[in-house]
Parts: sequence; C-alpha cells; structure tokens
Amino acid sequence: MRDVTARPRRVSLGPIALTLPAVVGLLLFFVAPFVTFAVYSFMTSGLFDVSQPFTTAAYETVLGSEVNRTLARNSFWTGLFAASATIAISLPIAFWLRYAAGRWQVPVLFLITGTLFASYLVRIYAWRTILGRRGVLNTGLESLGLIDNPLEFLLYSRFAVTIALVHIFLPYTVLVLYAAFGPIGSGLLEAAQDLGAGAVRRWTRVILPLVAAPAASAFVFVFVLSAADYVTPEFLGGSNGIMLGVRVKENFIATGDWPVGAALALAMLAAFVLLYALVTLALHLVGVRRVRFVT
Amino acid sequence: MRTDRQRSPFTGAVVLLALLFLYVPLAIVVLFSFHATGALSFPFDGFSTRWYREVLTSDEFRSAFRASIIVAVAASVGTLVIGTMAAYGLTRVPQRVRPPLAFLFFLPLTLPGLFVGIGLLSWFTKLDVQASLTTVTIAHLVYVFPYFLLIAGAALDRLDIALEESAQDLGASPWLVFWRVTMPQVWPLLVGATCLAFALSFDEFVITFFVIGPDSTLPMFIWSSLRRTVDPSINVISTLLMAITLLLWVVTFAFTVRSERQRRRTREAATPGVLA
Repeated sequence: MRDVTARPRRVSLGPIALTLPAVVGLLLFFVAPFVTFAVYSFMTSGLFDVSQPFTTAAYETVLGSEVNRTLARNSFWTGLFAASATIAISLPIAFWLRYAAGRWQVPVLFLITGTLFASYLVRIYAWRTILGRRGVLNTGLESLGLIDNPLEFLLYSRFAVTIALVHIFLPYTVLVLYAAFGPIGSGLLEAAQDLGAGAVRRWTRVILPLVAAPAASAFVFVFVLSAADYVTPEFLGGSNGIMLGVRVKENFIATGDWPVGAALALAMLAAFVLLYALVTLALHLVGVRRVRFVT
Repeated sequence: MRTDRQRSPFTGAVVLLALLFLYVPLAIVVLFSFHATGALSFPFDGFSTRWYREVLTSDEFRSAFRASIIVAVAASVGTLVIGTMAAYGLTRVPQRVRPPLAFLFFLPLTLPGLFVGIGLLSWFTKLDVQASLTTVTIAHLVYVFPYFLLIAGAALDRLDIALEESAQDLGASPWLVFWRVTMPQVWPLLVGATCLAFALSFDEFVITFFVIGPDSTLPMFIWSSLRRTVDPSINVISTLLMAITLLLWVVTFAFTVRSERQRRRTREAATPGVLA
C-alpha cells in the first residue's frame, strides 16, 4: 500500500482517458460478440445466419439430443482425466523446482516454460505422428521386435486426446503451482520433518492444504480448456473421442445451424460455471478459505 | 541466507520424466523434418534438407508466412500502444474504478477460444464485415491484450509513484514524465510483453479459424495439411514455427531477467527506508 496521505492527489481524468481505447475495444469486440451469440441461441435458424421469431427451440434440440449427451460425457471424462493428470504431474515438479532444484532451478524452469511456445497444432500433430498405426511408437516397437502387429488403441481414442491435452497444459500448471509454492518456506517442511512427519504426511498435512486453492483453480482452468477444445478431439479422438466443442464448431462452420451451436456453447458455459462453484464450495467445506501462507 | 535443499529423489524422477514427455514428441517432429524419405516412421533413413527446400519455395507457404507476420506485427504493435496506455491508466485511476476495469480487461482470459471465435463470427456477420486479415488482427488483439496487460501492469504497478510526482513538482509535463521517468524503468518488460504478444498471435489458431476468410496464416496452413494425407512438409513448417516462437521466448526471457536485475540495482542504490 502506498502512502497517499502526505499530499492530496490531484484528481485527473487523464488515467481514465488512457484506458478508453482498451475499454471501447473490448466492449466492441469481446462483450458485444458474446451478447450476440447469446441472443442468437434464442433465435430461429437460417442457413449460416439467424432470423426471428425468438424461441427456445434451440435449447430443446440441444438438451433433447442423445448424441449431445454422449458427447457431454466424453467432454466431461476427457476434461477430468486431463486436468487430474496435469495437476498430479505438476505438483511434484513444482515441489522439486521450489525446494530441491538448487542451481538447476532456472535452467529447468526455462526448459519447461520453453515448451509453452511449441504451437498447439504442432503438439497435436506430434502425437498423431507418434501414436498412429504406422506411427513412430508402433514402427519403433516393431523394428525392436517387441510387437508383431501395430497397437491400434493408441490413436483415435480418448487416451490420445488426453495425453495431447496433458502435453499442452502441463507447462502452464507447473508455472502456476511453482508460484503457489513460492511463499511456503522450506522451514515449514523441516519443522514437520523434525516433528516426525514422513514424506507422505508432509504432503497430505502440510503441502496439499497450503496449495489446494491454486491447485484447484489450475484444475478448473485445464478442465474447461480441455472440455471446450475442438481441435484435439477432431484430429486424435476418432469416433468415440469426439467432444462437444467439435459439435459447436460444426454447427457454426459446416451445417450452419447457428442457434443450436450457440445454445450448445451457452449450455457448456453454464456447466463450467457450475463446476467452478462446486469446486469453490468443496474447498470451503474442507476448510480451505483464503489460504494464509507462512514464510 | 541459508539455502536448504531438500533431497527428493521421487520428485526429481518426475521432473526428468516430464522433461522427456514434453520434449521427445517435439524432437521427433524436428528429426523427421530432416528425413531423407517421406515416411514418418522408423527405421530412420538418413538426413536431407529436401523438405526445407520444398517448403521454402512453395507459394502457399510464403503467402501464409507473410500473412502471419502482418497479423502478428499489427496485433503486437497495437497491443503495445493500447495495452501500455491501459496499464498506465489502470495503475492510476481512482480506487473504486479499478476493480470493474480490471475485471473487464482480464475477462477474455477466462473464456475458451471457441466461444470468442463463434462470438466474433456472429458479430462480424451481423455487422456485415467481410472476414479478412483485418478481422483476424482484431481477434488477435482481443486475445493477446490481457497477457500483455499482465506483464505491463505488473511492471507499472511496482514503480515508485513518488518519482513521477517529484518530476511533476519540478515542472515536468505529464508527457515528459512518462518518457523520461516512467519509460526508462519499464521498457525492458514492455519489449518482453510485446514479444510475447507477437508469439501468441503468430501461433493462434482456435479463434483465427472462425474469422479468417480466404487468407491463410501458418497455423491455418498446418491445420489444412493435417486434414490431408501424411505430408512430410508439416514437419518442416512445424519446426520453423517452433524456432520462431522459441526465439521470441528467449528474447522475452532475457528482457525479463534484465529488468529484474535493473530493479535490484535500483533498489540497492536507493537509500534504505525510502523504498520500503
């Protein structure tokens, strides 16, 4: 907090004027588009456009469709697997970076964040190259004589989608959790050790309660971005790994039924908000409120 | 200061495996970009740069590359101007205006690209705006702005406002204060944030897909090759794309480290107690 009592500050309109281009830009190209597609979800379909009258028909189509329910289940499980795996792998990495890395800290942090800059599409492509029927993994194992026939389950499955999503989001969550470990001094861990806590108890009683809040928000972040993804499932998911995002995209690009696409998108958003509320509530129930870090 | 290193063989092993998991797939793409044959499978048949020659001389690649550069330059320079103004304003607006402004500014971070994409598509259609590189640039501005603001805002937020006030009291105009007092302290991070904006824009696909029109950017080019049959030139384009964004990341990292050092020096030089 800055001390501003010393001298009355001149109130000026300057700072507000400086933010105006950004405010106008976001209202025009972020808020207005959002409102537009929200309104479209209540309209009647024209091909690649909408028309009057206002109706809830799109929502009835979306909620009544058996296919959508299957896709929603796919999205849910993929999001859950991807987010759980990402967080479970990030926690020990963040721990190592904070407490055990020593002089390796900066180089490893650089290496991990460096992969953030490998294009999203390139990663999807890389996994397709690896997991394909005639892919690197299958042909590699064959030339080593470990398998005779290519493993078919690798590509075009929920497994392939999940592994690519973990690959995409891992660097982000490592960064977030590493930042979360920042204020927790190593003295706290040593104290727990001196009091007789083993490695497992140090994790469950000291570390996890302290990083639960940021870990939960990272979990929701990965879940939402995974469940709403439309590119990874299209290229790696095959027929049983397809997800809701692909359906939204197809309604807007291929079939041109915009109200149904918009209604589906809004239903997804509502589910995400609900998930966020549930996670917050769950944290509250187990006693993690605003976490006070001890240094 | 005591530097206690915890010994933790388990987490160390996870780090090693994670690095392999992160890098092996990317290394394979790079490796096969130099493959002598078109096959994307083992055994590896020797090195060649033929795919590079093929890609670099292809018109399709060149026009996509040009489009990507145009959009990324426009988006990152636009963000530099609008974002610096917004960040500067945000740190100096009255307290009660700040939370709603910050909420609006960071809102785009919370919405997956799919929703931003279909929103812009609906909105541009409603306004009768033809999809073009201009609409792509607008979409990218919305996308990179909050990331730029995160870095620029942090840089401007930790400045000592007393320095600016002293300059003002000594008769400097706001413009002069900005260029002679504020900018010298924050420019390395602004350069870093601009590079980040460039890299994000250069790589953007999820939103671009909905607003692109007849042109093609590099990610769009990769996407369309992904839909075709196995094409070894994707490895080359992917490798080039990674090399460019990695270079920008190195620049960002270097400028961030530089700004950290500069800040530490300033702190050490300052009389204790003044900057507490």
